[in-house]
Amino acid sequence: MKLRQSDNLQPVVVTLLVLFFCVYAGYRSGDFWSALNWQLLAQPLAEAGFVSLGMMFVIASGGIDLSAGAIVGVAAVTAGVGAHHKLPVPAIEVAALIAGLLCGAFNGLLIGVLRLSSILVTLGSMILFSGIALAISDGDSFAGFPGGLLWWNDAAFFGVPLGFLLFLAIAVVAAALLRYTLWGHYVIAVGSNRVAARYSGYPVALTLFGVYVLQGLLCGLTGILLVARLASARADMGQGLMLMAIAAVVLGGAPIVGGSASVIATLVGVSAFYIVQNGLLLLDVPPFVQHALTSVLLLVSVATGNLLRGKREDQR
Amino acid sequence: MKSSSGSAWLRANFRRHETKLASLLLLLGIALAVAAPRFFSSASLALLVRSMGVLLIVAAGMLNVILAGGIDVSAGAILAVVSVLMVRLGNHGLPASVVLPLALLTGAGLGAVNAVLISEFRIPPIIATLGTAGLFRGLLLEWTQGEWESSIPAWLNSIGSPRWGGLDASVLAAVLVMLAAAWILHRTQIGRALFRFGDSPVAAARTGISPRQPIYFAYISLGALTALGAVFYAAQLGAVQGSAANGYELTVIAAVVLGGADILGGRGSLLGTFLGVLLLCSLQQALVLLRVATFWQNIATGAIVLLGVILSAAPRRQRRLILQQSTSA
Repeated sequence: MKLRQSDNLQPVVVTLLVLFFCVYAGYRSGDFWSALNWQLLAQPLAEAGFVSLGMMFVIASGGIDLSAGAIVGVAAVTAGVGAHHKLPVPAIEVAALIAGLLCGAFNGLLIGVLRLSSILVTLGSMILFSGIALAISDGDSFAGFPGGLLWWNDAAFFGVPLGFLLFLAIAVVAAALLRYTLWGHYVIAVGSNRVAARYSGYPVALTLFGVYVLQGLLCGLTGILLVARLASARADMGQGLMLMAIAAVVLGGAPIVGGSASVIATLVGVSAFYIVQNGLLLLDVPPFVQHALTSVLLLVSVATGNLLRGKREDQR
Repeated sequence: MKSSSGSAWLRANFRRHETKLASLLLLLGIALAVAAPRFFSSASLALLVRSMGVLLIVAAGMLNVILAGGIDVSAGAILAVVSVLMVRLGNHGLPASVVLPLALLTGAGLGAVNAVLISEFRIPPIIATLGTAGLFRGLLLEWTQGEWESSIPAWLNSIGSPRWGGLDASVLAAVLVMLAAAWILHRTQIGRALFRFGDSPVAAARTGISPRQPIYFAYISLGALTALGAVFYAAQLGAVQGSAANGYELTVIAAVVLGGADILGGRGSLLGTFLGVLLLCSLQQALVLLRVATFWQNIATGAIVLLGVILSAAPRRQRRLILQQSTSA
């Protein structure tokens, strides 16, 4: 068994790096510590946070989901079609969630039941889902959403955006699932050693199916919030989110080979990305350089995390 | 005598992934002969072969990386960096004899960055190349500021112009690359090391293969081949911009995987990769000929990739079962 403390150093490193960055950004830009800035930051952070939480389970189970962004697109355009047909708001939301869930179930069937490689299946289903999203939307973008749906973007509780609070609530649920349920135990077991899990009589197929269904559902939720914030829906909406989510989970220190997960670490990972990106924006760093610098943040923190952890014996 | 050895050959090859792919291609061919006979006109076939050149060159490099148990999602970014750099330098009046070697060196250098991150800093390949993809693309977009290079130097234009009955230089280059890759993979020590390292890094280390050599070879060769692909990419397109080839790496990986390469490393073939590229490109061209809407092309491509994954999974599961039995005993 690996030591817990040495395993969890990377979130600490990332937090320290981000804190240094915050001090610097606050010193250089007066707007950085303003409440409005953090309110504006919280909204997209919540959207990416849902996908990252789902991705955390996927990576913990020893897989990867390249189709997450495409699922967000499918959910968003499903909401768009619903709004186009003047469905009531709850029906639109449920339709988007179901669309995400079905996509996740498709992945889960192929990966869990048919035992196919997750990276290959989701590579194929990413292309497939983005095609389906384009087919649903006919390549157009939807607008004219009812106020009840856009409410998600405006609603706040003591100044904290409701989407962000929902994200925190779901993070708590995710942590409970991971720590206190049998399913959470199975996910970690399947991710650490699938063969051993099978020999131990664990329901490997069902566990994996659940992982991808949950990821689909969370992607659907992201789709709804994204539509509410941008007041439009397009097939390619979730494009950047998939890589973002994988990067956030790994930035938190989770091994990409699976078998380990921490909700706190994932929160640190995804927040680090958005705080740094937002700070760079306020420091007038050109947008493309921001993108490059957040990539450097990923590489540097994973490399230092590895160095701190010491040389690992088998490296894939 | 002859027939019995023939049937033995058939039996031995019946379960091979390449055979399944070839039958899939045959089915597609028959369907096309009925639905769109124009597909088999010489002009259309020449176009198909031309469209395969770049993908085949980059896929040969990606096969090296996947054989070594890695993955590279920065290939699209490298392709964009090299093509923009090449066209800009060329438009400044530098001759082809300077620009082309420089382009290949740039590609190899960017590939080496990936190799250093993976081999020296021990960053998992997908994370390392995810990071460098963002880094390369971000810096490139900052450099170009989203502007198009709408004209390319005359020498580059002549590389991309069709000759020899509708074919261009990319086809010749792809054939040469495939021949060279076949020689390296099967007849040189580094090629065999790729297979052995990808199959089991531990076992490879015990037989004296340093993990550095295959990793550096795989990523640098992919970088250089991506740069070669970028030459023809820019030449065929006649214009480049910073967001060129966005997501191209996924098409390349899809082609290699469709060709039966094991994403865990150690298994894969050039013939399979060739068939994978052929299948993807013919499907795309067929759908264009049939005037099918773009989203159907995505749906069909995704379905074909999934079908390929399912087809290639059956024999692999047997192999894994054997492994499990031997380790659990």
